[in-house]
Amino acid sequence: MQRRSFLKSIAASGLAASVAGSTNFMLPRKAHAAKKTDIGEVKSVRVDVLTETSWFDNDQFKKDIMDYGGAMTNQYTIPWVWDNAGGYSALITVTTLEGNERKFMLDTGWNTEWMDYIYQEKSDVANMLKKGEIEFLVLSHWHLDHYWGIESTLKHKDDIKFYVPKTYYPEDMALLKDKAHHKAKDKNTGEMMHICKNDVPFKGELVLCDPDGEDGQGVYKIMPGVAIRMFDVPILLRVRGENVLYFNVKDKGIVTVTGCCHPGILSLFSYARNNFKGYQPYGCYGGLHISLFETWEPKFDDIIKGVKAFKIQKLGCNHCTGWVWAERAAEAGVPVVKGTDTYKSYKRTSTVAKASNVFLTNGDSIVF
Amino acid sequence: MENAKQAENNFNYLSGLINFVVAFGIVWLLWYIFMNPNTVMKLYTPMYGFALVVVMLAMIVMLSNVFDYYPFKPPASTANPVGTGILLTVAAVVLMLVIHYVFFWNFIGKFGIAYFSPDSIVASGGTGGEPWNARENASTAIIYFFTAFLWVSLFWNLGFGRWPWQKVDRGTLAFSRLFTILFFVAIIYIILFHPHICYLFYPAQDKAGVAPWWEELTQTGSAFFGLGLALCSLFWIVASELLWDGWPWKAMDRNDEGNFVKGIVVFFVTLALGAILLWVFLKIFVLIWNEPFMGGQYTDGPDWRLIHAGEIAGFFILAAFILETYFNKFPNLSNLWARAVVRTAIAVVIGLLWYWFYYSPLATFFLAKVEGFAQPGDTPLVFIMLFLCVILIQRNFFDRWPLKRRA
Repeated sequence: MQRRSFLKSIAASGLAASVAGSTNFMLPRKAHAAKKTDIGEVKSVRVDVLTETSWFDNDQFKKDIMDYGGAMTNQYTIPWVWDNAGGYSALITVTTLEGNERKFMLDTGWNTEWMDYIYQEKSDVANMLKKGEIEFLVLSHWHLDHYWGIESTLKHKDDIKFYVPKTYYPEDMALLKDKAHHKAKDKNTGEMMHICKNDVPFKGELVLCDPDGEDGQGVYKIMPGVAIRMFDVPILLRVRGENVLYFNVKDKGIVTVTGCCHPGILSLFSYARNNFKGYQPYGCYGGLHISLFETWEPKFDDIIKGVKAFKIQKLGCNHCTGWVWAERAAEAGVPVVKGTDTYKSYKRTSTVAKASNVFLTNGDSIVF
Repeated sequence: MENAKQAENNFNYLSGLINFVVAFGIVWLLWYIFMNPNTVMKLYTPMYGFALVVVMLAMIVMLSNVFDYYPFKPPASTANPVGTGILLTVAAVVLMLVIHYVFFWNFIGKFGIAYFSPDSIVASGGTGGEPWNARENASTAIIYFFTAFLWVSLFWNLGFGRWPWQKVDRGTLAFSRLFTILFFVAIIYIILFHPHICYLFYPAQDKAGVAPWWEELTQTGSAFFGLGLALCSLFWIVASELLWDGWPWKAMDRNDEGNFVKGIVVFFVTLALGAILLWVFLKIFVLIWNEPFMGGQYTDGPDWRLIHAGEIAGFFILAAFILETYFNKFPNLSNLWARAVVRTAIAVVIGLLWYWFYYSPLATFFLAKVEGFAQPGDTPLVFIMLFLCVILIQRNFFDRWPLKRRA
């Protein structure tokens, strides 16, 4: 270990600590439990799955992590196999109580070539961005597969309003604003490999979300019936914090829409139960971060039992949920909304996709 | 209490403090080389690094507590503690490598129980049958086995001591005690941990292991229940041995030796106290993080709360060893009750300070840990056990050198 890299590592750790700000002791509920928040209501919510295939070959993705030190490794130090990169992104359409449709996006994927294909050829997102029909972009968290494809969005609208978790690292902000071309060292060849880039600097309004929310209410009310809650939890690959979308659908109840749902699906509903006026559980969509690598452990059985106990009525899942968990949950009586074969018309598909269609995958949609 | 006063007067606390700082520096250096996810070995995956550390700690305990240093000379009886210390440290490292890689990965795992070997798990295919997950699962099984080993070994030393082999030679004592301890380790492992490992696979290996029987009680199928209970019980074992000078169990000694009754009483009383401590921790967690619920994640997960209770007990254990090794069990009051209570209180405070350290930005700086509780892929037990390895090597193998040697 050379002195320079030794010091660099120490400095990086210290920098991360200072950027991360005040200590996160996750004592969240005491601040908000006393007064319940009214986030309003919407008539309905539709989620179009633009892409949920963040990577195509699960084993290759796992290998990249394993080869470079495991779950705690800094994502910017891994020379990810570019050809394996896809991305996660969803288009959300809210129908207001007055009957108006309002659109926004959740996340912006990873591989810019894949995301361009998704936005320009497999959906009308590129045109919607240009025309200003998509009002804003919400970043769930700073993971590569949700964020590194930012150029594909900004090239169509560089001044889009952008809600992000406050817990960013310098590399994240450099990618957003400073035309960064990040590279990581291949440990076998010593070569610096391209991992992500953005040549279109962001010029819009950046909203840094923290757990206190607006006015100390714990949430950001982004439109009537829709709120963002930032959960400051530590996440794999040296990332912290996730923005979660809450919708209160009239006569139905609370719906969560997530990128990866790192805080845990039941914890999201538990938060709503403790903090939202007139809480009724209804549904969820997104990556649920359960069997990310298609493995199993007793905890996953716990979650199936918990989802049933929380009386979630409509569960749309994909991405990091794990096909194996979704299949087992469906077998156990969890109301998993099944997808279609639309994904097969895309130029790439995931190696773990199965005929059971328990995932809402690329090209599918769900309405709450 | 002349001895206590003498110990107080003869101990150089500044030297103890300097030794402690150096020991922390060594831990940090080892972490930097082996565990830090941004540097050299990157073993903190976390289970792989965790398994290596827990096996290393088990080997140190085995050589010192179970074998009583056989076939080496006890460090306290040699004129050259440094030479003996180096020899014992090398022996522990070699044993760790042989036990982990040869015995578990390539012998037991290849010819008996597949889940102890990553290669055997990969060869069996199916869900999770890929190298990374296979290594994590095999490591998990090894961690549980050696947690049980540490529990039984340390309890045995306190309760039974040399009984019933007081009159045999050192070699016979060493191996008799080892195999007896392993017998009970196997039983504890099978009951508390094996069901969890069998449910690490899909479909569950339900012909090999029952469904976790503690689920109804704990609201989770995770064996973190057993881990939490073992560590909370270990705290009482360590506290009574190091901070209470072996009391109250000493009252049951016969001719200054352990015996059957003492062993049984020590085991069941420390187990009961461990269960109470676990329960108290869980109640405190409810005050801080509200009620957990089945399927909850992060701080809401009953499984995480159970391991977190064990992690806090681990910080207390670490603190007890620090107080005993570097600060001469301060204070050495003449009244047994007073010194036991004050020492325990000090150990709890030191343990809480370590807890604060681990969850503060300082740990981000020193250990490259992401801030926050319940990070997937993170447990302070690895840091705690690595620190204990360094302390025990100095304390047991080097007879505390360069600190003042045992009287």
